[in-house]
Amino acid sequence: MPTWGCLGLQDSASPLMEQLTYFHDHTMFILILITTLVGYILINSALNSLINRFLLENQEIEIIWTILPAIILIFIAMPSLRLLYLLDETNNSSVTIKTIGHQWYWSYEYSDFLDIEFDSFMAPYNMDSNLRLLDVDNRIPIPLNTQIRLIISAADVIHSWTIPSLGVKADAIPGRLNQVSFLLNRPGLFYGQCSEICGANHSFMPILIESISVDSFLNWVSSNS
Amino acid sequence: MALNPMYRRALALTIQQVSRQQTAAASTVSKIGNRDVVGFGMNGTPSYIDRVDFPMPAIRFKENTPDIQALREKEKEDWKKLTLEEKKALYRASFCQTFAEMKAPTGEWKSVLGITLILSSLGIWIYMWMKMYVYDDLPESFKPEHQEAQLKRMIGLGANPVQGISSKWDYAKGDWK
Repeated sequence: MPTWGCLGLQDSASPLMEQLTYFHDHTMFILILITTLVGYILINSALNSLINRFLLENQEIEIIWTILPAIILIFIAMPSLRLLYLLDETNNSSVTIKTIGHQWYWSYEYSDFLDIEFDSFMAPYNMDSNLRLLDVDNRIPIPLNTQIRLIISAADVIHSWTIPSLGVKADAIPGRLNQVSFLLNRPGLFYGQCSEICGANHSFMPILIESISVDSFLNWVSSNS
Repeated sequence: MALNPMYRRALALTIQQVSRQQTAAASTVSKIGNRDVVGFGMNGTPSYIDRVDFPMPAIRFKENTPDIQALREKEKEDWKKLTLEEKKALYRASFCQTFAEMKAPTGEWKSVLGITLILSSLGIWIYMWMKMYVYDDLPESFKPEHQEAQLKRMIGLGANPVQGISSKWDYAKGDWK
C-alpha cells in the first residue's frame, strides 16, 4: 500500500510487478542520463559568451545526434518488448475468481470448488482498526504462490479493478469479461481502489486482497461453503 | 533625323532606369535626411542601430552640417592636431551612444523582481483567503494520533517490506532500525 511521501512504485507482491519495477528503474536511469546531458549542454550554451551568429548546418553532428538517440531507444525498447510479451504469456491458473463491479461495491465469486459469493463494501473509518477509504468488510483471500485467473466484469457502469503492488489493472465493463492473471509471492494485505469514474461513490469502493497460505485458503473455502 | 525605333527603345529604357534610381534615392533621402550611407550595417538597410555585436551602423547618426564637414576635412590630416572636444564632436556626429553607454546596466531587473514578488504575494493572499473561506477542513484521519495509529497498522501488516516503510522497522527490537 502507498505510504506518506510515496513518490515511486509500491514494493511488488508478484514476479511480474518486480519485472515492471526493474524496467521502470532502468528507463528512469536512461532518462536521468539524457536530462543531465541536455541540462549541461543548455547551461553551457547559455553561459558561453562566444556566439557564432552565422552557424548554418553540419552534417556530421546531425548524423551523430540521430544515431545516438536511436541506439538509446533500442536500449529502452528491448526490455520493454520482452516485458510486454512476458505479461501476455498464457499460464495454467489453478484458481479462478470472478469479480463484478457494482455501484458502489465489488462482488466476488469463487466457483471452482463450491459456490462462494460475497460482496465487498468499504468499511467505515475507525481510527484503531482500519485505514480511511481503503479497508473493506470482506477481503478477498488468495492462496500464496498460486497462479490466479481473475475475470472482471461489471453490472451497471464501467469500473476498473486494480492492485498497484501486483501491477494489475483492468476495466470492468458491463457485458464484457476481462481476464488478468497474477501470482502472489508474499503474504499480507494488498490494497487497490476503483480506477474508472462510476458515479458519486467512485472513491469509496476499494479492493483488498489478503494473501494467505494454501492451507488457510482451503480452510476458508470449506468454512464458507 | 528621326530616331530609329531601336534607339528610341534604348533611350526609353535608360530614362526609366534613371528615374527609378532617382526615385529610390529620393525615397531614401526622404527617410534618412541628409545623412551619409557609410556601410552595410546590420541588415543592409540604411538605418541607424546601436548594437554591440554590429558596431558599424549603415548611416551616420546626425545630418551633415557645414561645421561637421569642416571637421571631417580636418580629420583627414594628423589626428594629433584634433582637440578632445573636436574628437567628441566627430564621434557624436556619426554615433548616438558610446560602447560604455550601450553596455551600461539598465536596472530593469529591479522592476522585474519587484513586480514578480508583488504578484506572488497577491497569489499568497488569495491562497490564504481560499483556505479560510472556501476549503473544507481536512478529514479526521490527518490528525497526528490518527496518523500514528495508521503507521502502527502499516508496520503491523508489513506493508512495503522490501524497500519501503516496513524495511526500516526492526521487528526483533520493536523500534526503528
